[in-house]
Amino acid sequence: MRKVLFYVPLLAFLALALFLLSGLFSDPRERESASLNKALPNFALADLMQPNTIWTPEKLKGEVFLLNVWGTWCPTCNAELGYLSELRQQGVKIVGLYYELPRDPAFDPPFDLAVLQQEVQQKLQQQGDPYQFNMLDLTRSVSLDLGVSGAPETFIVDADGIVRAHHIGDINPAVWRSKLAPLYQQWSSQ
Amino acid sequence: MIAEAGQLALTFAFALSLLLAIVPLYGSFTARQNMLLLAKPLAFGQFIFSLLAMAALVYAFRTNDFTVINVAQNSSSTLPWYYQITASFGSHEGSMLLWVLMLAGWTALVAQFSKALPLLLQGRILGILGLISAGFIAFSLFMSNPFARSLPFYPVEGRDLNPLLQDFGMIMHPPTLYMGYVGFAVAFAFALAALISGRFDSVWARWVRPWALSAWLFLTLGIMLGSWWAYNELGWGGWWFWDPVENASFMPWLAGTALIHSLAVTEKRGTFKSWTVLLALAAFALSLVGAFLVRSGVLVSVHSFATDPGRGLYLLAFLLVVVGGSLLLYGSRMNSVRSQARYQLFSREMLLWGNNIFLLTACLIVFLGTLFPLFHKELGLGSISIGEPFFNQMFYYLTIPFALLLGLGPWVRWKQQQVLPLVRPLGLVAVAALIVALGVLASMQSVQANLALLGMLLGAWVGISALAEVMLRARQFGSVSKGLTKLNASHYGMTVAHIGFAVLVIGVAMTKTYTIERDVRMQEGDTAEVAGYQFTLTDVYDLNGPNYGGQAAELDVRQNGNFVTHLHAEKRFYRIQRTVMTESAVHARLSRDLYVSLGEELPDNAWALRIQVKPFVRWVWLGGLLMALGALLALADKRYRRKITDPGVSHA
Repeated sequence: MRKVLFYVPLLAFLALALFLLSGLFSDPRERESASLNKALPNFALADLMQPNTIWTPEKLKGEVFLLNVWGTWCPTCNAELGYLSELRQQGVKIVGLYYELPRDPAFDPPFDLAVLQQEVQQKLQQQGDPYQFNMLDLTRSVSLDLGVSGAPETFIVDADGIVRAHHIGDINPAVWRSKLAPLYQQWSSQ
Repeated sequence: MIAEAGQLALTFAFALSLLLAIVPLYGSFTARQNMLLLAKPLAFGQFIFSLLAMAALVYAFRTNDFTVINVAQNSSSTLPWYYQITASFGSHEGSMLLWVLMLAGWTALVAQFSKALPLLLQGRILGILGLISAGFIAFSLFMSNPFARSLPFYPVEGRDLNPLLQDFGMIMHPPTLYMGYVGFAVAFAFALAALISGRFDSVWARWVRPWALSAWLFLTLGIMLGSWWAYNELGWGGWWFWDPVENASFMPWLAGTALIHSLAVTEKRGTFKSWTVLLALAAFALSLVGAFLVRSGVLVSVHSFATDPGRGLYLLAFLLVVVGGSLLLYGSRMNSVRSQARYQLFSREMLLWGNNIFLLTACLIVFLGTLFPLFHKELGLGSISIGEPFFNQMFYYLTIPFALLLGLGPWVRWKQQQVLPLVRPLGLVAVAALIVALGVLASMQSVQANLALLGMLLGAWVGISALAEVMLRARQFGSVSKGLTKLNASHYGMTVAHIGFAVLVIGVAMTKTYTIERDVRMQEGDTAEVAGYQFTLTDVYDLNGPNYGGQAAELDVRQNGNFVTHLHAEKRFYRIQRTVMTESAVHARLSRDLYVSLGEELPDNAWALRIQVKPFVRWVWLGGLLMALGALLALADKRYRRKITDPGVSHA
């Protein structure tokens, strides 16, 4: 017994070394998304352009799609519109979740849907329109439920409405090829 | 040209370290004296060539040789000359070379001051140090060459030193810290050499003790300087953040503290051998693990270096060889070592055992807190982060019993102590501590059961008990004045270091409880009142430094209308790196710091300022200084310098 005791430090160290080795090959900044492999949170959001249409997770089922969180106020989101439009032409279904910034009642003008619609239309005309449609997350509660920490972020949602990937940051050809396209194809073929 | 000479010098150092690793160790197993005798000159040669390499790097920085990638990325021609020198160890590559130089320096010191050691042991110790050196020099040469050139295309101007590192604290902090980290390599080599020969006794412990003490001294100073630097330079008045890199320096410190206490037992009583050896191995192993964590990118931290999995793999392999190998040897050899000494439940041995347990628990907590996010993620449980509250909570619970034991420890005899004779003096100490704690809080008009009261109580208990114990010991020599001159330097060292701990505890508890912080918006001429001080913003103007611009604010501070001081806070914009740095204005007194940092410019010529009044924050660093001073006093003890006249030293 006493003999074994003196090997405990060595065993502890070897276990540590194993963790350190696996730690070397993963990015510490990468975060597991809390919404991964769960159904979309329950919501009922108005369509940005046709406010009379209400979208719910139920209506989105049936086809794999990208859920792209964005806003005209976000330069990176605007920059990826072009490439996302290309993806749309390749047949990828992309739904926009429009993230409206909070307003300071003392300084900002009150929310005006017509102004926002005009801004969005203009932006999409300039940069390209990748979206089947846009849902307006005016109170940001759906984004919050999805674990969005900023824009742009993109989710891959499968045909059953389950979130299968969560990408933080912009989508460019490199990211699409190496990370998202394989997942998109995997879930499309099931 | 000089850079190539530097690289050549480093290559020579590598060759010498390889020889140092092979020849004396081989000689020690084949009993060849001429091989063992080579250890010393090889150690000196290795140091000289490492020094030449470092000098060449400093030369490249001073002459703005931007063809050297390291210089181009970490210096600029507008950088003041003293920062050009410190920039030479501000990057990963440069700091690795500094690490190599310090290790070679320690090795040379061991070679110089080991005349009393048997030749066999000396050869083994130097050989082991050479092995470690070889590993690090190879890492520097092949994985992170500080002399690499970017010819034929090179920039005409450098990218400048990270502004965070352009501070006096940063000139001192890394060299001192590294001296500490690397210094534990000596104790490590002593422990390994003893494991090989199977001989651990009081004499061995007396040889190791000064080396462990000096490494601990540097590590203490280094950590303290780092904390002081963060306080001045980061602009929010914090002095410890439980950042993974800070933790990486704190773990070897805790193990080292346990080591110097455990060594005392091994030296005086010839027992605790397995503890002492394990701690000697652990202190350096934790330094190495720390180096791995900082340089491999496994953890996210504000001061980790740029990451590269190749470097991480190399360091991990090195770690496996050095630490794994030594622990394997420990496992196979240690079970044959027996201690004869007997001691009772209430004895100094038991209290020092308690000290070891608490320090190792603290070390384990820091270790788990730092690495838990990694474990959690690698086990597939997702990302989490562990922050300040966890560490603060755990250390809060650990400090209470630890400080109580610490106040008791020096009073208790070796082997066995009767309880009754201690009741009266320690009762008096406890009463005195209570009076002091309540008195201080009453003078601040805030007597309540909070962290500050607890900290004051524990601090006063430890401090008063340490002082009273010295008086008691001195009285045993007849009169106090006569006794005070008779006591060992190491006894004073212990007392001063324990008082340092008391001062630290008081500082932490008081600052945590009574710091007042206000963020204010001020225009010129405005006055803000914080904790009884009136801060008046008199002037804000543009700055024009050598490699930075920005704004400076002048403030007058009054208390009840009486002028206290003038403060000068800066917000610097470093032009090349395009970063903003806060140079806080600090007015320091033993009882409190006034701390002002200049924030953003607001509309209408107004400025955001953060004003803090931090009682007793100086005590945090004063405590660290006293602990280091304690180690210095203990090092001055005569018994480590006694000449050994035994003629048989060369054949042991």
